[in-house]
Amino acid sequence: MTVFSLIIINKAGGLIYQREFQPGLRKLSTNDYLVLAGTFHGVHAITRTITPKLPYLATTPASNTSTTTSSTPTSATALASPSGTTTPIPNTTSTAATYMYPIPGVAATGLDSLETDKFRLTCFQTLTGTKFLLFTDPHMANVEPVMRKIYEFYADFVMKNPFYQLEMPVRCEAFDRNLNGWLRGRT
Amino acid sequence: MVVYSFYIFDRHAECIYKRRWLPRPASIPGSKSSRPTSEASAQATSAPALLGQSARTTDDDAKLIFGTVFSLRNMVRKLGGEDDNFVTYKTSQYKLHYYETPTNIKFVMLTDIKSPSMRIALQQIYINLYVEYVVKNPLSPVEHPGGVGVNNELFEESLEQFVTRVLS
Amino acid sequence: MAQPPRHAAMLSLSNSNSNSNSNSNSNLSTASDSRQPAHLATASHSSTGLRVPSNRKTIYDRHLNRSRNAELSRASFAFLFAEMVTYAQRRVTGIQDLERRLNEQGYPLGLRLLDLLFYRTISGSTSSALSSSSSTSASPPNRPLRILPLLHLIHGPLWRLLFNRPADALEHSVSPDTPNEYMITDNDPLVNTYISVPKEMSMLNCAAFVAGIIEGVCDGCGFEAKVTAHNQPTEMWPGRTIFLLRFGESVMEREKVLERAGVK
Repeated sequence: MTVFSLIIINKAGGLIYQREFQPGLRKLSTNDYLVLAGTFHGVHAITRTITPKLPYLATTPASNTSTTTSSTPTSATALASPSGTTTPIPNTTSTAATYMYPIPGVAATGLDSLETDKFRLTCFQTLTGTKFLLFTDPHMANVEPVMRKIYEFYADFVMKNPFYQLEMPVRCEAFDRNLNGWLRGRT
Repeated sequence: MVVYSFYIFDRHAECIYKRRWLPRPASIPGSKSSRPTSEASAQATSAPALLGQSARTTDDDAKLIFGTVFSLRNMVRKLGGEDDNFVTYKTSQYKLHYYETPTNIKFVMLTDIKSPSMRIALQQIYINLYVEYVVKNPLSPVEHPGGVGVNNELFEESLEQFVTRVLS
Repeated sequence: MAQPPRHAAMLSLSNSNSNSNSNSNSNLSTASDSRQPAHLATASHSSTGLRVPSNRKTIYDRHLNRSRNAELSRASFAFLFAEMVTYAQRRVTGIQDLERRLNEQGYPLGLRLLDLLFYRTISGSTSSALSSSSSTSASPPNRPLRILPLLHLIHGPLWRLLFNRPADALEHSVSPDTPNEYMITDNDPLVNTYISVPKEMSMLNCAAFVAGIIEGVCDGCGFEAKVTAHNQPTEMWPGRTIFLLRFGESVMEREKVLERAGVK
C-alpha cells in the first residue's frame, strides 16, 4: 500500500499541513499548495450543491399504479415522506416542487473520493469542518482505517498540544513522528 | 444502475448538450429498481411543469459542473503530471464520471454511487454516437454554439437507447 | 447503585440533628461513606466522627476512581495540562520564566501528595503492594532521612502513584564537583506525551511541572532541593527527560552527620 501525501485544510479553506510520505506525485511550491487547498475547498462545496435533485413524485407504495402522469402530489404526502436528513427545500410558490436526494436519509456531502490514473484522493471532512486529503495509490484498499488513524493522531498530538493555535499551520513534531512511524509500520 | 444526467462541454467551455433522466415516479426509497425514463429534453426548455424549480437551475448546474471538473482536472494534472487523467469522483449521494477527448471535448455523467467506472461507456458515447451522428453529420456545423447540431434526432435517440438499454 | 447514596443522605440528616457540635465532622464522614456500600454505612451508624469500617479499608485507602486499574482519563488530563501550560505562558518573559511557573504549579501538589503517599506506603507496607524497592526490610518505612531512601521513594512509589509505573533510571552525578546532584530519568513522561515544543523554544520541557512535584516532595520530607527538567532525547525515546535534583548545602552537611551516626 502506498500513501503519497497528506494535506489538511482548515475550515476556512486555508492549508495548515502538507507532508509527503512516499514519492509518486509531483512536488508543488508552497504557494501552489495553498492555491490547491483553496481551490479544493471551493470545489468541495460546489460538488455538494450539484447533487442531483430528484423531483419528489412518490405516492405511497400501495397506491403505486402506473400513472406516469405528472400529477402533482399533495404537499401533505410530500411532507410526510421519509425524506430523512436531506432536508428538501419546499418551493413556496408551488405546492409540488419538493425534491429529494438520490439516497434519502443520507446527508449530502461534498466530494469524498476522487480517482485518476495515477492516484486516488480521499477527502474526509470532520464535523468541525477540517478536511483531511489523503493521496494514495489508486489500487489501495482500506483507506478508511488510515484516515481514522490520522484523525486520531490529529486529535491527540495537535489538539492536545498547548503550543498549537487553532486554525493555524500545524507544526507539531510529535504528530509528524507518530504519523510517520505508524505509516512506516504499515508498509 | 441509475444515470441522473449527462453533459457535453466543447473546447470553449460551453455546454453544448445536457440531458437529465428522472427516475420513474414509482422510485420511492425502497424500490430502487427504477430505470431512468427520459423526461427532460436536451435544452430543458420543455421540462415538465413539475420540474419548476429544478429546471431553472439546470443552466446553473451545467456551469457549476463545468467549473468543478475544470478545477479538478487542473488539480489532477498539477499533482499527477500532464498525462494524468481525472476519471471519477464520488460523494455520499452521487458519482461523477469524466472523459476528455484529445480534441478537448468533455463528457460528464452523473450516476448513482454504486455504478462501476463509466470511462468506457463515455468513450463509447464519444466514438459510436458523437462522432457518428454529430461529427459526421454533414448538416451539423463545426462548432455547436448553444447546442446547435448536437441535438439532432439520431444522436438523441441513440443516446437514449444507450443509456436505457446498455447501462441499466 | 442509586440506593446507597440516598441512604447516606438520610444518615447525615439524622446525625446533624442528634449532635450539632460535631456537625462538620459527621458531614465529612457521611460524605466519604456515601461511596461505600450501604451495609457499611449502617454498621457504623451510631458512631460519630471518622468511622473506620470493619475491614479497615477506609476511603483514603482507595483511589477515588473505582475502575479496575484506577485509571483516570488520559485525554482529560492532557487537555487540562495543555490549558495549564497555556495559562503559565501568559505574561512570561522567557523559557526559564515559563519553566519556573510550571514548577511553581507542581510544587504545592508535591507537598500535598506526600501525605497521601506516606499514608498509602505505611498502611500498605504489610501487604507490600506499594512498598518501595528500598523498604524491603521488615520494619514499616519511615519518612526518609537519608538521600537515597528519598530518591527511591520518588523513583518508585511516587512515580507509581502519579504515572502507574516506576521511573526509568536513577543516577548519581559522577562529577566530584557536584556530589549533591542526582538524576531521575523518565523515558517518556506522561505530561509530554502530546506536546510538541516549537523549535524556537526547544530548551523548554513542560515536565518542569513534574520537577515541581518532586521538589515539593523533597521539601516536604525536609530535603531542600532544586529540581529541573531537561531534554535528553535518544533515537528510541524522543521525549526522554532527566530530572536533575540539586540538594542544598544543609542537606549535604546533615547527610554527612547521619552517615557518621550510622543512620540509614
